[in-house]
Amino acid sequence: MIAVLDEAHAPDAKPRPAVDLRDVSKVYANGRQALAEVDLTIPAGDFVFLVGPSGAGKSTLIRLLLRDELPTTGLIRVGSYEVSAMRSRDVPRLRRHIGTVFQDFKLLPRKTVRENVAFALEVTGSPRRLVSTAVDRVLELVGLTAQAEQRPAQLSGGEQQRTAIARAMVHQPRVFIADEPTGNLDPLISWEIIRLLLHINDLGTTVLMATHNAEVVTALRKRVVALDEGRVVRDAVGGYHGSH
Amino acid sequence: MIGFLAFAARRAAEGLWRNRVMSLAATITMVLMLVLLASLMIILSGMQAGLALIESRVEMRAELFDGVAQERVEELTRQLTALPEVAQVSYVSKDEALRRFRAQLAAGGHEDLTEVVGANPLPAQLVVRLRDPKSFGSVRQTLASPAGVVSRIVDQQSSVDRLVSITSWLRVVGLIIIALVGLTVLLIVVNSIRMAVMSRSDEIEIMRLVGASDAFVRWPLIFEGVIIGALGALVTLGLLSLAAGPISQLAGIIAVDLPVASGGRLATDLILVISGVGVMLGGLGAWISVRAYLGSPQAR
Ligand SMILES: Nc1ncnc2c1ncn2[C@@H]1O[C@H](COP(=O)(O)OP(=O)(O)O)[C@@H](O)[C@H]1O
Ligand SMILES: [Mg+2]
Repeated sequence: MIAVLDEAHAPDAKPRPAVDLRDVSKVYANGRQALAEVDLTIPAGDFVFLVGPSGAGKSTLIRLLLRDELPTTGLIRVGSYEVSAMRSRDVPRLRRHIGTVFQDFKLLPRKTVRENVAFALEVTGSPRRLVSTAVDRVLELVGLTAQAEQRPAQLSGGEQQRTAIARAMVHQPRVFIADEPTGNLDPLISWEIIRLLLHINDLGTTVLMATHNAEVVTALRKRVVALDEGRVVRDAVGGYHGSH
Repeated sequence: MIGFLAFAARRAAEGLWRNRVMSLAATITMVLMLVLLASLMIILSGMQAGLALIESRVEMRAELFDGVAQERVEELTRQLTALPEVAQVSYVSKDEALRRFRAQLAAGGHEDLTEVVGANPLPAQLVVRLRDPKSFGSVRQTLASPAGVVSRIVDQQSSVDRLVSITSWLRVVGLIIIALVGLTVLLIVVNSIRMAVMSRSDEIEIMRLVGASDAFVRWPLIFEGVIIGALGALVTLGLLSLAAGPISQLAGIIAVDLPVASGGRLATDLILVISGVGVMLGGLGAWISVRAYLGSPQAR
């Protein structure tokens, strides 16, 4: 937290962008080009939609940010992390700097909501005495305090995604990435999730959300980056398909 | 650090319980192998003890012709004593030989038949104590070289040879069997940990996603192997401690003093070797499995 405040308020330095891609291309081992010469800068604190048809390269871009994949060419920075050039033993710290949720919620079915969230702290070596207060805090943030002792199977889809969001937020990440978080949810529930992400953004976390949900994107008038066949074809505020 | 160890141990125990059938199978084969290993150690150590017993009594007796000149016997004694492999040479006269024979008969409760014979049928002897049971050759040569002195050489070479060869044969065969069983155990542990990795693939994906370091992913799995080894060793040592009494008795019957009882040297060796081999084999199997199914630490 302190480091972040210093960054934001350092008088002589330009604030560091939350996410910065320079001329990034990704060709998979099978020869498939998923991203081509992508330049993208997301200032700290922004809320950005990443849109585009299926296969446009949205998930690939997210995997590159998480260093789940390496770019074929180009530079990637997330906060102070040189993602494209970092040692693999630093990758865990990058992943704690980024909170991530997916269309499938990736919850552990045997664990309760509380345990699913606590898991993220336990496996990163947080002292046990700190776990329970940290978990309580994020469960309150996502509004699942009452469901803390339930298992994923007992929850609605929206509640499952909120559990995943709580888990992603428990390390207090500076960047929050959601890959089609509402893809499995009906419209009403989707709006609840979007509202939660907007709230997280209000609290100071940079949010990048890949989505197909045109209704949400058009309604919110946030910055929209559109990908098609691996290229950025539009980068403007508002609109889903782009009003050229 | 303590927190990490507690975490890894807790997760390992959880994992073992989740795959309990496989864990049990791995532990049982581990016990089987360790019992074999312990048996080999005990038998070899028994044979070693037997060998030592025989070796400590290793001597050659040379029976002398009646009426050999005293100087010739003394000359032979000097030659023998000069040999480095000879510890001691003692002369037993005909009378002394008879006295010993009678004493032996009396001790055994047998009737003394020598009185009936009248004349002393026993030859005078040179008793040669050896430092090393395997160095019969030169002593035998020296004894045989002066003509008309030594009538017959009595030694225990053949029995020593046999025991030495049985011991080394047993050691080789035993080690081969144990190596094969050990390999089987290794494969079973590898497989058991592979199952653990697969049943945890979701958890492992999430761990990596939320920024768990590699140690947190790997060590619990390696602990699972170590725990299988340690449990196997514990069960084996338990079985051995139950069997220690009967084994000692058995050894006592064949006149060998086996230090299997607690505190004995063999017991200490067994505890160290069995737990060491168990833990190392379990850890190694898990390590191989983790390398194979999670990739090297660099591959993420
Ligand atoms: N691991 C992979 N190996 C090979 N090709 C892939 C892989 N992942 C994605 N692709 C391909 O890359 C392109 C972009 O995919 P993706 O990033 O998943 O798009 P989106 O998330 O926008 O639907 C697609 O053509 C897809 O088939
Ligand atoms: Mg996708």
